[in-house]
Order: sequence, then structure tokens, then C-alpha cells
Amino acid sequence: MNFALVATFLTDLTSFVSDNFDELAAGLRRTLVLSAIAIAGAFFIGLVLGAARAHRIPVISPLAAIYVEVIRNTPILVQIFFLYFGLPQVGVRLDAFTVAWLAVTIWGGAFNTENFRAGFEAVPHRYREAGLALGFSRVATFLNVTLPIGGRIALPSSINTYISVLKNTSLMYVIAYPELTTTALQIQALTLETVETFTVLAVTYLVLVWTMSALIRLLEARLALPEERS
Amino acid sequence: MLPDWVEPVARYMLVEGLVGTLQIAAIALAGSVLVGITFGTLLTIKFLPLRGLIRLYIEVWRGLPILVTIFVIFFALPAVSQQLEFDALTAAAIGLILWGSAQVAEATRGAVQSIPREQHEAASALGFGWIGRHSFVIMPQALRRLLPPLVSLLVNIIQNTTIAQVIGATELLEAGERQSERLVAPAPIGLGEIHAFEIYAGVMVVFFLISFPLTRLAAVLEKRLV
Repeated sequence: MNFALVATFLTDLTSFVSDNFDELAAGLRRTLVLSAIAIAGAFFIGLVLGAARAHRIPVISPLAAIYVEVIRNTPILVQIFFLYFGLPQVGVRLDAFTVAWLAVTIWGGAFNTENFRAGFEAVPHRYREAGLALGFSRVATFLNVTLPIGGRIALPSSINTYISVLKNTSLMYVIAYPELTTTALQIQALTLETVETFTVLAVTYLVLVWTMSALIRLLEARLALPEERS
Repeated sequence: MLPDWVEPVARYMLVEGLVGTLQIAAIALAGSVLVGITFGTLLTIKFLPLRGLIRLYIEVWRGLPILVTIFVIFFALPAVSQQLEFDALTAAAIGLILWGSAQVAEATRGAVQSIPREQHEAASALGFGWIGRHSFVIMPQALRRLLPPLVSLLVNIIQNTTIAQVIGATELLEAGERQSERLVAPAPIGLGEIHAFEIYAGVMVVFFLISFPLTRLAAVLEKRLV
């Protein structure tokens, strides 16, 4: 390993970051905002539709099943193209930001519906019966019995979905929404500092994803069901 | 009946686009399985430096968005050395292999570790070395467990081949985009009409028709084999 070369590259990187700090920070902020909206949205969709699926609620449950299958079996990139380039033809014009958060929310919601459905269905039936026998209403049984237990069973898989949501925001490059990846490629086109740009871009995503999974592992340990706690 | 513009557009998308998609997917699947099974098996060896390296490989390529991985291969590697210049299809396939092999490695580790120790001991007693033991005794049994995640991986790979569109590789989405742009052009080339809605909806239908049976298959295999 050529030590001098590594040292020069590191100085290059530092000056690259300080030269373009404002743009990179703005891009990173947009990536985080998009992810936050989509994670909240996916959590809500997953919770409601997952419960509808697990309890076989008429009309909503089969519709939710179609939604899940369509989204899970088509590439998210094509969904983005459809929303941004296809819909204007029929009069629905969405700006880049709307398509950006909407696409990842719809995508995350579909995967989360499946995560929560599996979680709720894994709650032993006798727990629900016990809740009903104690005089809880169906809704109260869900909120006090199925949700706390099934939600925790669904936690690891739903967390993987949230991490994928964060990574998928990078696809908004195709509609030129200036999140982190788009910003980095714009900087690269202006400065031609290719290696520096992609090093910074890759490291930023790794730091984001690794931090997220570390935090989440802590949360998982805290929320673990008592019998699984070690 | 279908309007006149549909037939040539559909033919181009299927002959040029879908074939490209399947090509990238086939290379990516073969590469991911080969590299992933090797790394996943090596991960069960209790030798720390090796395990650390493979862990790092898995965490890096699983952690990066595939789009960023493909950008790094397509734009950054040629800037480092001329010899590392790949065409769009190859760059996309390499990116998908890095990501896919990380997934397979993780699944393989679990599958290999689920094989009881007696199988290892019996194979050793029969005179198999490490390589022979894993290729002829352990892996054939682990494959059963590995099959459902591999089918899911195939679905994900097929869907993620669309990311190759971003660097201009000819696959289904790119073929659709080209046709959609052509139709917008005035008369001799196109029609001066916008048909993006039908074309992208069509792309979604094709992907759905390929993916849906495979996700069903993965679910059935999961129930049957485990």
C-alpha cells in the first residue's frame, strides 16, 4: 500500500467535502426527510392493512392483498416511471417531491402490510380468545393483545423494510429530485472529481444504513418479548 | 382492436428489452449463487480474519443502494484505471452480483449451520476432506433449505435489473422509455403522441407476469421444504 497516495487521497476527500458541504448537506437532508415521511407512512399503512388482512375484514382485506401483490411483483423503478412519466398523460401531474415520497411510501406500505399481517397471524389464537373472554371488545383485544405481541413479532422484518425504503430513495435520481444521490451526481458533473464524489456518496449511505441497523438492534432488544429475552 | 402503434412497440420491448432483462438476470443469478454459496460456506469456518473480511463484504454490498453500487462500477472504477471500464450491461450485472451474493452468503451460512454436526463427522469418517465434505455431503442437504430464499432472490434480481436502465443498458424499462420517446417525435419517426401511460403500465404487467408465479413458488417451497 502506497502510504503517500492514501494521504493525498484523504486530503482530496476532505477538501472535496468542505468545498461542496452545503449541497451535500441539503441532499442528505432531503434523503432523510423522504425516508422519514415514507417510514411513517409505511408504518401506518402496514399497521392498518396488516390488521385488515390478518382479521380477514371483508372488502378491505382482498383489496389490500391486490395492492400488496401488485407492488411487490413490479419493480419500484417502473412504479416511479409510471407515476412521474405515465400519469401526466391522463391528467395527473405530480411534482418530483410528491412522486418521490409517494413512491417509497406506497412501496414500503405494501411490504409492511405483509410484515404486519404475518406478525398478527403469528399471535396464538388462544390469546385473542382470552381477551374476548375477559370482555374486551374486538378493537380493544386488537389494541391490547394482538398489536403488542404481533407488532413485536413483525419488528425485525418491518425494520428491514424501513432500511430498504431509505436505500430506495436513491432511485429518485431518475426523476431528478435533488436528494443525496442526485446531488452527488450533479457535483460530479460540475467538478469531475469522480472518485471523491462516489467515495463520499457510498460512505454516507453505509454510515446511514449501518447506524440505522445498529439503533434498530438496540430497539429490538428493548422490545423483545419476555420469553425471547436472553 | 389494438391501435397500430402497439405492435412494433411491443415487439421492440420484448425482443430487445425483455431479452436484455433476462440476460442480465441470468448472469446476476448465476454469479450471485456461485459467489454467495462459496462465501457463505467459508463464513462457517472459525477463522476470524477470513470471517471478518466476508462480513465486511456482506455488510458493504447489502448496505449500499444497488444504484450507488452500479454508479461506482460504471463511473468511478474507470476513473481509477482504464482497464476497469465496463459496458452498461456488464456494470449492471456486476453490481447485482455484489448485492445478490451478499444475500446468498447470509442465507447459506444459516443453511450450512442448520445441518447437524453428525453429518460433518460422518463425512470426515468416510475420508472426505473439507471441500469434498461440503460439496458432496453438506451442500446437497443445505440446498433444500436454500431453495426458497433463492427463488425470492431471483424475483428481486429480475426486478432490480431495471436499475440498469439508469446507466442506459438495454433492458425492458429502457426499451419502453425509448419507444415512449420515439412516439412523441413527429410523423415519420413517431406519431407526435404521448403513450407513456400505456407503455409503463405494460412494463409493469410484464414484470408482474414473471414475478407473481415465482413469488407463489417461493411461498409453496417455503411451506413444503422447511
